[in-house]
Amino acid sequence: MLHEMSLGGMLFSPFVLLLPLAFIMAAITRGVLHYMGLRTYIWKKAWFDVAMFVCWLAAIVYLFAN
Amino acid sequence: MGKLGRIGLTLLVVAAAVVAGTWVWDHYLYSPWTRDGRIRADIITIAPDVSGWVTELSVKNNRLVNKGDPLFTIDDTRYRAKFAESNARLAQERTGWDLARHQYERRQRMADLQSISEESLEAYRIRAEAAKASYLLAQAELDTARIDLERTQVLAPESGIVNNLSLRRGNYVSRGEAVLSLINNDSFYVTGYFEETKLQQVHVGQKARITLLSGGEKLSGEVVSITRGIADSNTTSDSLMLPKVQAAFNWVRLAQRIPVDIALDPFPEDLNISAGMTVSIYLETDMEKAPDKE
Repeated sequence: MLHEMSLGGMLFSPFVLLLPLAFIMAAITRGVLHYMGLRTYIWKKAWFDVAMFVCWLAAIVYLFAN
Repeated sequence: MGKLGRIGLTLLVVAAAVVAGTWVWDHYLYSPWTRDGRIRADIITIAPDVSGWVTELSVKNNRLVNKGDPLFTIDDTRYRAKFAESNARLAQERTGWDLARHQYERRQRMADLQSISEESLEAYRIRAEAAKASYLLAQAELDTARIDLERTQVLAPESGIVNNLSLRRGNYVSRGEAVLSLINNDSFYVTGYFEETKLQQVHVGQKARITLLSGGEKLSGEVVSITRGIADSNTTSDSLMLPKVQAAFNWVRLAQRIPVDIALDPFPEDLNISAGMTVSIYLETDMEKAPDKE
């Protein structure tokens, strides 16, 4: 996935796609945890959410890197 | 779950994020890849070796021509006339040389009888030599005229695709002025412009994965050379021979980009690639290659 993204002939860094994807996954994770009532087990929710986003981003970069 | 457990869980995820974030940073910023790659090809510019009107154009734009195929023909009337003139001149000089040689040979016999001075004999010998030189000169001129005549037909020096053809029948073309270009067939390669921060991870022989902007199948290739010099604008001089040193920002500086040439592995025939297309290039590092060796 480390290559140019073309949207209607304009060229974007792959992060333009990867970042929103990671954000959506992080939001879904947050929703699922909330729905299952597991968020009470989190100490600092903001830290946890940011960390989750970074983890998702790394996972997406790793998965799509090849 | 106690408070300790909650703190532990959160810190565990944060620690994982720090490791993952560091990996992403290194992977994205320092792994040898670039979005700034171009497909290139060997371009041959065709210039006629003689001047004249184009009487016949044998090629069409963007079509393949084989090595030795005629590209266009230049009006040869003048060159035919010149060839005939040189031919006649050669005959004239040959006659002149025959005459001079004959006279010298006769004077030689007369010298044996001591009826001619040594000076006169020497003059005839030199005259014969001069006539021979004139003959050789005429022969060389005839050869030149023949070359000019032959070169009124311009042939393809290599197989390739005719590119950007604006030449038309009737145009006047001048000697040495390029009138069309050929893209050498099967000479496509890729040049990647890598930031200097990534250059230490680029090696000759490294495998490359190349993605066209149109997506689809990935191309593969191998690094063949790394450019050893790019222009430094600080070294240019003005009219007083003072260096033109550029003002630079103190905080932000852009990395220079160094061209790296990559030879393409054979790719499918039906794949349309043109010189100038943009590609992304990812070079495989040693760590990725290691599992293959096992």
